[in-house]
Parts: sequence; structure tokens; C-alpha cells
Amino acid sequence: MSDGDGRDSLKFLGERENQQWKRKKKKLGADEFAQAIARIAVAQVCEGLGFQSFHQSALDSLADVGVRYIREIGKTACSYANLANRSQCNVFDVIQGLEDLGSIQGFSGASDVSHSLSGSGVVKDLIRYVGQAEEIPFAYLTPVFPVVKQRTLDPSFAQAGESPPDEHIPSWLPKFPEPETYATLSLRNEKDLETEVVNKTQLVEEQHRKVERPLLNFQQKLICNGSEAGVVVEQGDAAKAQRAAESNPFLAPPLQYGEKEVALPVLPPKLLDDPADYHNSCVVTDTNLLTLEPSLRPRETERSAPCEPEDRRNILLNGRPSLQFKFGNGKKSLRMVTSPRNESIEKVSLWFGDDHDGKDKTNRKAEKILWENTEYPPEVSHL
Amino acid sequence: MNGQTSHQQSKDGRHDDDAALTEFLASLMDYTPTIPDELVEHYLAKSGFQCPDIRLTRLVAVATQKFIADVATDALQQCKARQSAVVKDKRDKQQKDKRLILTMEDLSRALREYGVNVKHQEYFADSPSAGLDSVSRDE
Repeated sequence: MSDGDGRDSLKFLGERENQQWKRKKKKLGADEFAQAIARIAVAQVCEGLGFQSFHQSALDSLADVGVRYIREIGKTACSYANLANRSQCNVFDVIQGLEDLGSIQGFSGASDVSHSLSGSGVVKDLIRYVGQAEEIPFAYLTPVFPVVKQRTLDPSFAQAGESPPDEHIPSWLPKFPEPETYATLSLRNEKDLETEVVNKTQLVEEQHRKVERPLLNFQQKLICNGSEAGVVVEQGDAAKAQRAAESNPFLAPPLQYGEKEVALPVLPPKLLDDPADYHNSCVVTDTNLLTLEPSLRPRETERSAPCEPEDRRNILLNGRPSLQFKFGNGKKSLRMVTSPRNESIEKVSLWFGDDHDGKDKTNRKAEKILWENTEYPPEVSHL
Repeated sequence: MNGQTSHQQSKDGRHDDDAALTEFLASLMDYTPTIPDELVEHYLAKSGFQCPDIRLTRLVAVATQKFIADVATDALQQCKARQSAVVKDKRDKQQKDKRLILTMEDLSRALREYGVNVKHQEYFADSPSAGLDSVSRDE
């Protein structure tokens, strides 16, 4: 076996490993890197003995067996060290481990009960092997793995210089998060499509991550819209909100009525006199809302409604366009729109499905709002 | 007297063994095993083996290399035996079967000696209905 041949087959093996990596990219487990290196090392050993090629499954199995062998030596050596009341392993622990593993195949002097470990048969076999075998260094440079990343921990109360709010909280625990981060979620400008596109993924992630928060805020919006009932609506400090808004766009203060433009809502076709208008408005909303998740739809139309409890009723009566809650994606909007009442109400009740009884009031309010909104067709004349 | 001399001899023997072991461990630093140190350290750490001494890591690496080499040698012998058996029957296949390929069959036979049972699928069906009767396949 010449060096040229060895290098060729190694290259071929490297390519195969690459292809295998590409194929297995999606299924990478935690140990893939180490197993791949083991495969290469085993292949090199086999090649040194005279094999010219391998079956992939055979190579995988042999590499797996080799890895298990290493782990078995480690386990046995560690247990012998622990048996001797030590935590760090010794060369004699390793030799004992090797003897245990070699007892299947057998080694010289195995039956000798009182033999010394340093003169054990396994050691002699190893010495002979090292003397005989030609040295084949590993083909690639391996980095030290696994790579240990530095974690940035949250500061504790003591580190931040704050005192914990209550006595029962020790100061070495991490700080509580800022109240703005769990306060109201903001209303956002719908016409600002660029930021919308940029923040869409963030929004979706946030929605997915914190399910309860939008739920809570949705409730609050409905309460703002529908009633003047005394429900806790967190106003928050204007200054704090402003500060938070600068750092986080999702915490921007809610829209004020009359200062910003809102999206034109879409009405069901039976409420519209002119079918052409409906199509136009449908197209507009489709492009706006096409790529959003279904769960975000009600929030879109919701956000166009500012949260001003006292003016709400007046605004509704004074020619403000009625809102259409749209559930589902853009393709389905036509279908959904034909039967808005039942499905919308169903969806709303689904949202509140697992809430406790205290929110039944808001359920009824939500239904009332939807009914109200669909009962004001004449105000859509300017569409 | 005799016991004392024998005891002396055994002590000397033990000293020799220790010396041999120490020398061996020192020589390990020159010899680079095929299995890289990082890999061995990773798996040893996974199994709870704690030792800062790199010579022990090398010792484990060499032991594993020897184990793999032994298994592969046995598999190679199996492969060669099979090829020689084939060649005896048909001379014209002598040219084709010169390549030594590590197959699952040879490997499982070799590993059985070492107490490792590797069972291998003989074939894989490409669809759930492969091998069924034509009647049931039509259904």
C-alpha cells in the first residue's frame, strides 16, 4: 500500500463524509461531530491494515463499537477509582479496566489471581503492539470539543445594586425583569409596511413565545373598545413607555386616534352595495395581511382601533368605519367573510376557551362588539 | 531462604514491570495514536473518567486502536478466506475480487469473537407492499 493510494482513498472518504454530512444535516444530533471523527480514525486504522474500501454500514458499526469501547474503559476505570476511594483515575485503574474488557478475548496471565497490575498481560500486549504497528497520525486537525460558550447570566439583586422588593427574596437571586417588558403590548402603525416586514418574524416569535400576554392585551383592547366597565387597564407611565419604545418597537405607546392612518377594513359582500368596491378593498387588505399568521389577523384590525374608553361609543356613532375582524389567511378571507358572525364568534370563544369564569363578561362583550361592527354598513360609504 | 530469594526475585520482577510500564508511558508521548486525543478525552469525560494526565488518555487511545486493529485483522482474514474459497471454484473471478472490502458480514463474524453481537439487516424493502402477494398489492 503506497502513500498515494492511501491519500486517494482518504480523500474519497472525506468526500463521502461530506456528502453524508450534507444528507444528515437536518438530523444532526449532539454527538455527530465526534462520531464522524471516530469514523475517520477507524477508517484510517483499517486502511493501514490493508482494507481498500468499506461498506458504509460496516464502517459505522465499527466506529460505534470503538466509541463504546472507549466509554467502557472510562466507565470501568472510573468505577475502580471510586472503589478505591478516589475521584481521579490512575494508570492502574485503566489497566484493570482493560483487563476486564480483555477477559472475553483473554490475555496471558489472566488466570493468575495475584498478578501485579504493572506486569499484566494487557500491558505487555500493548507494548508489543506499539512496537510493531506503524504510526498513522490522524488525517485532520481536530479542535477541542465540545466548545464551551460563555454564558452571560442575569445580574442578581446584589450585583445590580438593588434591594429585593420583599423580605423573603434573597439578594443573590437574579433581578426581576423590568415592568415594561410585561406591561401592555403596543399598537403599531399599520401603514408602516417596511417595519412591519422587518418586525414580522420578531412579532411571530414573540406571539408564539408569550401566548398569554397577547391574550391579556386583547382582552384589554376589547374592554377598551366595548365597555366602560371597571377593568384594570394598565396605562403605564408615559415617560417609561417612551423610553421602552426607543429600545423595543413592540413597547411603543398605543396609537392615538386621528394622528395616524389606519387600514381600511373589509366588509362582507352582502353588506356592501357595490361589489367592485369590495374587491378593491379586499385586494388592499390581502396584500397587507397576506403573509401574516392567522392569529395575528384580529390584532391587525384591532390595532387600528385606539384605546380611548370614553370616546369609543361616540367614535363609533360618528361615522368611523366599522371594523371587520378577519380570521384566517388572505386566501381564505373571501370565504370567511361571507359568514363572519358565526365563525368570528367561534374563534373568539376559542381564544378564551381555557379562561376562568371571570372573563365570561369579556366574551359577551366581544360578541357584542362583533355584532355591533357588522351592523353599521351605511358608514362605509366613503370606502 | 528459598522463600526469601523467590520473594526477592518477585520484587525485582515487579520493579522491572513498573519500570517497563513507566517507560512505556513515556514512550507514548512520542507515538501518536491514530485516534485523536480530543476524541478520546471527549468520550472519557462523558463516562466520568477524570484525569489530567495526558499519558493515560494516550494509553486509552492506543488500547482502542489495538482493539479496532484486532477486529479489523480478523475481518480481513475472513474476507481473504472467502475470496480464496471463491477463487478455488471459478478462476475467472480472480481478477474481479482482488479488492478487500470491509463488509458487514465479515465484521459481525469478527466481532462475535469479542463478545459484540452485531446483527445486520439482510435486505431492505423499498415499499410497504414489497414482497406481498399480487392480490393484496392490488388492494
